[in-house]
Amino acid sequence: MFIKAENISKVFQDRSLPVTALKAVSVDIEEGSFTVLCGPSGSGKTTLLNLLGCLDRPSGGRVFLRGEEISALSQEKLTRYRLRKIGFVFPDFNLIPTLSAVENVEYVLWLQGISGTERRKRAAAICERFGIGALIHRRPRELSRGQQQRVAVARAIVHKPELVLGDELTSNLDHKTGSELMGFLKELNREEKMTFIYATHDPVMIERAGRVIRMQDGEVVSDEKTRVHA
Amino acid sequence: MFLFKLAFLNITRNVRRSLITVMAVGVGLAALIFLWGFNDGTIEQMRENVIRLFTGHVQIHARGFEKSLSPELFLAQREKVLIDVAANPAVSRITERVKCEALVGTSENSRGVLLVGVDPERERQITDLEDHIEAGRYLEPDGNREILVGDRLAKKIGLDLDDKVVVMTQAMDGTLAGYAYRVKGIFHTGSQQIDEVSVYITLASAQELLGLGEDVHEIVIQLSDRKGIEPFLEWAKISLGSEKYEVLKWNELIPEVDQWTQWAEAVIGTILIAVMVVIGVSIMNTVLMSIYERTRELGVMMAIGTSPSQIVQLILLETLILEGLGIILGLVGGYLVTIYFGEVGISFHGVEEAFSRSYMSTVVFTKVEWPHVVQSVITLILLTSFIGLYPAWKASRMEPVKAIYYS
Ligand SMILES: Nc1ncnc2c1ncn2[C@@H]1O[C@H](COP(=O)(O)OP(=O)(O)OP(=O)(O)O)[C@@H](O)[C@H]1O
Ligand SMILES: [Mg+2]
Repeated sequence: MFIKAENISKVFQDRSLPVTALKAVSVDIEEGSFTVLCGPSGSGKTTLLNLLGCLDRPSGGRVFLRGEEISALSQEKLTRYRLRKIGFVFPDFNLIPTLSAVENVEYVLWLQGISGTERRKRAAAICERFGIGALIHRRPRELSRGQQQRVAVARAIVHKPELVLGDELTSNLDHKTGSELMGFLKELNREEKMTFIYATHDPVMIERAGRVIRMQDGEVVSDEKTRVHA
Repeated sequence: MFLFKLAFLNITRNVRRSLITVMAVGVGLAALIFLWGFNDGTIEQMRENVIRLFTGHVQIHARGFEKSLSPELFLAQREKVLIDVAANPAVSRITERVKCEALVGTSENSRGVLLVGVDPERERQITDLEDHIEAGRYLEPDGNREILVGDRLAKKIGLDLDDKVVVMTQAMDGTLAGYAYRVKGIFHTGSQQIDEVSVYITLASAQELLGLGEDVHEIVIQLSDRKGIEPFLEWAKISLGSEKYEVLKWNELIPEVDQWTQWAEAVIGTILIAVMVVIGVSIMNTVLMSIYERTRELGVMMAIGTSPSQIVQLILLETLILEGLGIILGLVGGYLVTIYFGEVGISFHGVEEAFSRSYMSTVVFTKVEWPHVVQSVITLILLTSFIGLYPAWKASRMEPVKAIYYS
């Protein structure tokens, strides 16, 4: 099993009131799968995604990645884990505004200690592949939302992570752009064997996933594999 | 390089705020440099004033004379000492003096004074008493019945030019000796000590009064350079022998200048710390604001694998760049202003009295003393780096999830 979550729960302390975002959720994610988390707002999609992505630690339960219990690792180790194995796409893209498109992508490679020339070559190549090769020297605010989203995805996958997590990936994109992006992701999923997990409200994305996990009030209410169609 | 670039780009985000911070550092440092320059200039002039006014660089006495002023403690083997000293290449000028406690009296008043017998010709080459004569004139070489008195003393005992005074003192043989002199000049040096307590007659008449013959109490030496004082003292210790003579440098004779220096440096040290705190708080404020404004961005950076220590490095680097630019600005600005007033001088003619009492000049020429500049810069770097640690540490402690979703 690639990722295994065992009875994970998450309680946030909102001022003095405890908020239970996740109640004893157990899920297994297979390597190379293309999974969607859906459900109403506040159902715990983001929380689950962050726990699977080592971004946060559960209040209860355990998370394993390839059999290693990541929920027990130190903050420093988790950081390194995320850097090597995981790619993130955050809502609203969250690019670094002072850096150009290609530098945003390069940043991850710099964190991995890859040298300057190699870095620029790889970052530019990914941007090219995402159809933004001509725009790589623009700052994020000089790009359209669709273009920014591509940069965000390029940043998430440039270091060839095993797992890519996306939160509200297409929520601010028009139908056509969102659909195009999905095409890219499916391609990567097939070719690079990257495992993808997304949280979304978007029916188009849900439709194209290989597996749909529905959540409500911090619980998984349904989990079905669909026939994958590209 | 990437980190440096990122830090630099972050600084240029809010150009105005960064500029204000750089200015705060720059102006603060420039002010400190100027303040040191002012103090160092003042003290340098005080040193020269004291040396020129009275002490010369070094004085040689019989051991114990400076404290006791006993008339019988004249310099043994005066001629040999004179020849030896004159042969030292560092020595540029020499004069001799007789010094004793005496009583100066008119028909109505009398007062205890320090009677100084000087060789008018040689004295004027070392000290500038002559320039301070306000009324009348300086001593004639053979003016053996002439006396110079300070303006304060003249006022106290009611003396005027050409008045007659009687000077009485204990002679070598223990008897009471007394002569009448005519006031030929009244001086004003600004030093209360000298103006109120010292009177000058010629060396020859003082020797006669005390029955000293050719002997003197004091040899005053001017070296070609003040830096030569310490080596000269070393030389004197060996060549003259320390058991018979005391060889004193100017700042042992007038310790007030050194005391003043210490005091002023302590005051500036305090100001230094205050300025540092202001600069530090200003930098901290800027950096904290800039962190607060990009909480989400920093959260994302951490989420995608930036380690807390890299965040610390980034924020510290931003602090250091701001500070570095400020230091460059402050160094250049402070240096130029200090150099400028070193040429032009800052006049304090309005408060002359207060200044001259402590041997200060009324026009201060500022002076750049590099050790003080370096000290200011190093303190600035240390203190503000230390202060910069706090925002950096705070940024690195952020939880990525909270930063990204709840800010
Ligand atoms: N850091 C936090 N502090 C307090 N409460 C939190 C925190 N994070 C999440 N919650 C709460 O936990 C619950 C689940 O939130 P979560 O963000 O996982 O929902 P979601 O399914 O992603 O919703 P949406 O579709 O709106 O993004 C919500 O009630 C939310 O208010
Ligand atoms: Mg969410």
